[in-house]
Amino acid sequence: MEDYSLRVSNVSKVYHSGEVEVRALDNVSFTFKKGDFAAIVGPSGSGKSTLMNILGTIDKPSSGEVYIDGLPTSEITGDRLAEFRNKKLGFVFQAFNLINGLDAEKNVELPLMVNPMDEKRRKAKADRLLTKLGLGARLQLKPTQLSGGEQQRVAIARALINDPVIVLADEPTGNLDTKSGDEVVSLLRKISREDKVTVVMVTHNLETTKHCDKIIYIRDGKLEKEVVK
Amino acid sequence: MSIRDIFWLSYKDLKEKRLRTALTIMMVVIGVASIVALMSQTAGIGASIQTSLESLGPTSIVLTSTRGAGFTAADLSKLSSIPNTSAVIPILTGRGNILSGGQNVSVTIIGISSQDLQQVLGSVNFYQGGMYQDTITPSAVLGYDVAFPSSASGKQVASVGQPATLMITGQNGAALTLPIVGILQSYGASTMPTDTGVILSMPAAQLLLHRSSYNIIMVKASNTSTVNGAAQFITDIYGSSVSVTTTQQLLQTAASVIGSISLLFLIIAGISLIVAAIGIMNVMLISVFERTHEIGILKSIGFKDSHILTIFLSQALLIGVMGGILGILAGAGISYGLTALAHLAASHQTTPTAQSGAVGVRAGGAGAGAQSQSSGLSNLSYEPVFDAGTIAIALIVAVVVSLIAGVYPAWRASKLQPIDALREL
Repeated sequence: MEDYSLRVSNVSKVYHSGEVEVRALDNVSFTFKKGDFAAIVGPSGSGKSTLMNILGTIDKPSSGEVYIDGLPTSEITGDRLAEFRNKKLGFVFQAFNLINGLDAEKNVELPLMVNPMDEKRRKAKADRLLTKLGLGARLQLKPTQLSGGEQQRVAIARALINDPVIVLADEPTGNLDTKSGDEVVSLLRKISREDKVTVVMVTHNLETTKHCDKIIYIRDGKLEKEVVK
Repeated sequence: MSIRDIFWLSYKDLKEKRLRTALTIMMVVIGVASIVALMSQTAGIGASIQTSLESLGPTSIVLTSTRGAGFTAADLSKLSSIPNTSAVIPILTGRGNILSGGQNVSVTIIGISSQDLQQVLGSVNFYQGGMYQDTITPSAVLGYDVAFPSSASGKQVASVGQPATLMITGQNGAALTLPIVGILQSYGASTMPTDTGVILSMPAAQLLLHRSSYNIIMVKASNTSTVNGAAQFITDIYGSSVSVTTTQQLLQTAASVIGSISLLFLIIAGISLIVAAIGIMNVMLISVFERTHEIGILKSIGFKDSHILTIFLSQALLIGVMGGILGILAGAGISYGLTALAHLAASHQTTPTAQSGAVGVRAGGAGAGAQSQSSGLSNLSYEPVFDAGTIAIALIVAVVVSLIAGVYPAWRASKLQPIDALREL
């Protein structure tokens, strides 16, 4: 059994625009362990979002391999890939990406809907998780009725509902004020510690990385440096 | 993923976009309502014509002279000797107007013996009074619409015991005052224009119309299996000088005419459903476009292509089912409305339809006979007929059309790549 929850091995991503070749990622390699609270940092256009999409299996590398929970993701395709994402990964987006027509509880239940789980159990699990994240009184509210910080906590609950191996958070504080942003970062850190989930946060804000165990710096698609605390 | 969740996710989106959903469903409603209304109308009219023709009896053969001379007693005797016949009924018809209670009503003068009238109508039901004597002294039994003409807004203008003045068409204003002995109940659609008829004994009618002959003879075959044989026999005797029509021929012709009308209506309804399908596809494509980001979210959290496909298809299914059910209800309402309008229009006609070929058979054969029956719609009392099969087909067609219209948008939605879909904001 591999020790790493995430292993990125020589990953490159090349785009072609006519004759021009754009190398968004160039031979990037690193690893994260179970329970790591990690960050991928870089300026705008550095390739960190491309890397995040590849880690989330919603994009494929041109070369190299990403191992999640020891499994080479390039070998997983079609419906199995959807199942894989559902079971192993949780996503937290900058714009929260909640479904506006559904209340907080239903948004959190969504990943469980694709599994054969009794509706009562599903609801109870979502309620428990939302209550744990301080949203016990906000279950029936639609995203538009929640503050930014609350919406992001609902998104975190949705990411955690299937007990994933990795939570990928793409600029999770980007749309939040400083106080709410700090709360979200603390929450993510707490989750990584208590639930032994690897939390990978992509950010350009170095302030949010101060509590991270490991920071990967990306510049021009290359791994610039790797800091382990 | 459970069916309940799939339908719930589909329903919440339809509910969110209420106006758009309502308009999309309306497209299906129009198509289905057209099918139900038009088919129930043609079925109702068809059933009424069929009942009307069947009241002639399945063994009836109607002879109409295509020459001016008409039939004589010799013809009656000749026809009575044809094997496998049970009755030969002579009928004399003409046209005229009756003046009664200050109203001038156009009528069909029908000469027939009281016994034969019973045979033709099945049973003679009187609103007032009773049957005339089979003598040469003219006394009349009036059809219901003659006594209660629509021109008098259904008010009674003639009563038993009162005299009425009858003017016969084509006799230079010749008029005769005759007593009214009976008023029939309304027969609605009937083999004869009974409701608009002034019915007299045969000798009295011959006297009034200055004729010693008859223009129609109804022959009753002894049973249904001998009708065609007897009809052929009569044709062999008379050749082209007499038009011979059996009830079965009329029924076939009526069925053929109704079938053609139904087909035409179905094509019209089909076109409206095609328009509905294009509308549904358009609306669903817009929905896929608008929900691209949401589809990306669902895919990123583990929804498979098949889940997305099913969610969108079930949305089309919901539109089809809702449109189908509402369309059936709307179609039924429209159909009853059309029937009420038809009855209202009939009651406002001041001149009742009076055919010289009183039993709905005119020179020219069965086809013309059927036309004269169906053209008498003003006299045709009918109710829409809602056949369970038609309703089921309308619902199935609505669902199938909606599903077909939803396949392409659903497929497009399911094939969206999460990375592309998530980029859309």
